[in-house]
Amino acid sequence: MTFMDSLAAGLALVLQWQSFACLAGGVAIGVFAGAIPGMSATMAVALTLPFTFAMQPIFGILLLLGVYKGGIFGGSIPAILIRTPGTPASSATALDGYPMAEKGEAGRALGMALYASCIADFISNLSLILIAGWLASFALNFGPPEFFTLIVFSLTIIAGVSGDSLLKGGVSAILGLLLATIGLDLVYGTNRFIFGSTDLMGGLNFIAVLIGLFALPEIFSFIHRPKELDGSVRRLGNDHITFADLRHSFKSIIRGSFIGVFLGSIPGIGAAPSAFLSYAEARRNSPNKANFGQGEIEGVAASEAGNNGVAGSTLIPLLALGVPGDVITAIIIGAFMVHGLQPGPMMFTTNTDIIYAIFMGLVMSSLILLVVGGVAIRGFRYIADVPRSILFPGVLVLCVFGVYAVNNAIFDVAVMFVMGALGYAMALFKLPPAPFVIAFILGPLLENNFRQAMLMSQGSLDILARGPITWFFWALTALAIALIVKGALHPGEEVEQEVIASKSAK
Amino acid sequence: MRVNAFIISLGAAALAASSALAQDYPSQPIQLVIPYGAGGATDLSARALSNALTPILDRPLVLANRTGAGGATGSAAVANADGDGYTMLAARVGSHTVNPAMKETLPYTLDDFRFVGVYEINPVVCAVRAGSEIDSMEALVQQVQENPGTVSFSSSGVGSMLHLAGAMVLDAFGVENPLENATHIPMGGGGEAATAVLQGTATFVCTNSSALASFVSNDQLQPIMVTTPEPLEGFDAPTAASLGHPELEQLVGWTGIAGPADLSDEAAEAWGEWLEQATQNEEFLAYMKKIGSQVDLMSPEESVEFVNAQYETFRKLVDDLDMRVE
Repeated sequence: MTFMDSLAAGLALVLQWQSFACLAGGVAIGVFAGAIPGMSATMAVALTLPFTFAMQPIFGILLLLGVYKGGIFGGSIPAILIRTPGTPASSATALDGYPMAEKGEAGRALGMALYASCIADFISNLSLILIAGWLASFALNFGPPEFFTLIVFSLTIIAGVSGDSLLKGGVSAILGLLLATIGLDLVYGTNRFIFGSTDLMGGLNFIAVLIGLFALPEIFSFIHRPKELDGSVRRLGNDHITFADLRHSFKSIIRGSFIGVFLGSIPGIGAAPSAFLSYAEARRNSPNKANFGQGEIEGVAASEAGNNGVAGSTLIPLLALGVPGDVITAIIIGAFMVHGLQPGPMMFTTNTDIIYAIFMGLVMSSLILLVVGGVAIRGFRYIADVPRSILFPGVLVLCVFGVYAVNNAIFDVAVMFVMGALGYAMALFKLPPAPFVIAFILGPLLENNFRQAMLMSQGSLDILARGPITWFFWALTALAIALIVKGALHPGEEVEQEVIASKSAK
Repeated sequence: MRVNAFIISLGAAALAASSALAQDYPSQPIQLVIPYGAGGATDLSARALSNALTPILDRPLVLANRTGAGGATGSAAVANADGDGYTMLAARVGSHTVNPAMKETLPYTLDDFRFVGVYEINPVVCAVRAGSEIDSMEALVQQVQENPGTVSFSSSGVGSMLHLAGAMVLDAFGVENPLENATHIPMGGGGEAATAVLQGTATFVCTNSSALASFVSNDQLQPIMVTTPEPLEGFDAPTAASLGHPELEQLVGWTGIAGPADLSDEAAEAWGEWLEQATQNEEFLAYMKKIGSQVDLMSPEESVEFVNAQYETFRKLVDDLDMRVE
């Protein structure tokens, strides 16, 4: 079959009303599921999977891809409106999205999240189509030592989200690293800090930690000082994103998209680190550095571009190598196999029509996300208008419900409340929660990859500098640390930040 | 997930109120705990089974993923549940033979469960990277013996079936101290374990055929042995028996349904019948075949015998090789 033939066959497959219906339906399901705290994109995809068995392969796959993309975007809605990341990947979005909602700019933040998501999604899909083969073979060079250096570099972004004090950011990160060690260790299966509890053997549930850390402190401080806070009605859910906003953040969106494409193509990283890395890079390069964390629209743009940039490129290892990059793509591989399709290099010769149909479906999905997401935020943004005395009890119920749903365990709900108390205490001491979350995500990856590398090399540290990729990341790390030290020695900006921070301290 | 469950239980409550005089079991929704994450092998298998069970049961079957600690969290939850038959478990090779054989601190033993039936068997395949100089079990064993420390195998974690499988295969082929002469590299999951072989972090992996099927058909990985008695379709590799090691046929994955040890006879009988019918369901059979597993329903007695035999084999291996995890 020639290229044109395959293209035509692919077009014939995708240009049916069912394809559009599946994509649109999938995106809608995903956005809705993503918007419910605790209902992650992974769960939505897993629940949709059985419905695809009876469909034609291409429709089923497009439906799942729609759910995936919608879910990743949908998570930003509660992150912005109620500071409750709907999916782990949207926790970076809450950093600036929620302060914007507090200032009455919920509509603007949601609009930016949507546009940034769609642009990043589109770039990610194009990368998948154009450079999948190249990126996939590059990603295969990532073994544990390369991963380790990448994670070491990623840890430097903690400095970027520490707010006014690097020391406080560090304390917060160390708390996160500490709590991430709870449970069975990977290499020897030793129990760590479980105090005899079987529930703790599996470690702390990530969603429970996230919701406890972000959403509950808001509610606790409202209970603590209801009068002060209730005075400022937020309303203004009605305002819109302008073209100037988009142009202002455009560079960050593009940068975030490529960070997403790169991290997404490497199996095993996922969307959350990408969102934080994109956020930290945007902050580092922005003239409004001090405004990040206080409601800077560019922060929302960067985070959402970072996490949606992953959505297309995680399909690179899936389609080009047959390797699942994360849990979601592992489920999608299941859908391929049920229909007798074996993702991998052979698929490009045996099922070219399906491959091209998927490519075209993906490009359409970016547009569909724009439309469906637009409708969704029009509906959801009025949540910002609800008075807190009504909103917060509702949020609390949703949080309990969502956290329970993740693992059907009441223990996780307890974890959430304990983390809520910790988060509130951290807020009182002005310890920023973002470094905690980053450390909590990256800590296990850091440890596991280090120990896997040590197993590979029989304990020799030389393996951590075994090739160009490791050298590259060591150099980046050194550069990042140099910049941080420089920033610490010339604290001009920091003072400015503190002034703003104390002004907006609630 | 919970949304569904909630709606279902609302509906079920209404039903229960209107027809409380039907038979005793089941009179309310049954929770089936899946001790592994959504989308994993156990999850897909249990969900397919529940689709086949739904038309048979007149009460809803509510699936609940309780993940953590290699299946221990969910399994412990069922071991400690009431034996009324409303909390059942999708038990798996990892959670019920490998873990009990290896983990000292596991909060349950096999005696804490009553099996109502093993319904699925997954063949195990050992594979290396395509184009690797090691292209047979013989070459692999020779490499381990001549250059100790140069061979490694990946697994989905300590105490996983893949961990035990790698050691068991080498041990069977006469490698002394396989865990010292070959390196075990635990990865985060089954997919990562296969990827680790593909990209060169590990030399070989022994895992369920379904996890390797697409890599093998794409010529990325090369199978060097299958543990089924008969050659396996799609895997061009000799059987363990033909290589002179029929004892490796014990090394298979499986999924079964179990309740707590004090599960009522009534519930156990009901489940026996349901599984009998569900495993006749053609859609279910077709699906299971596609994901590379063999549907093979065992009676409760056969199941217990099978699980115990595998446990004893594993336990002996763990003792011999001192693989106990504390």
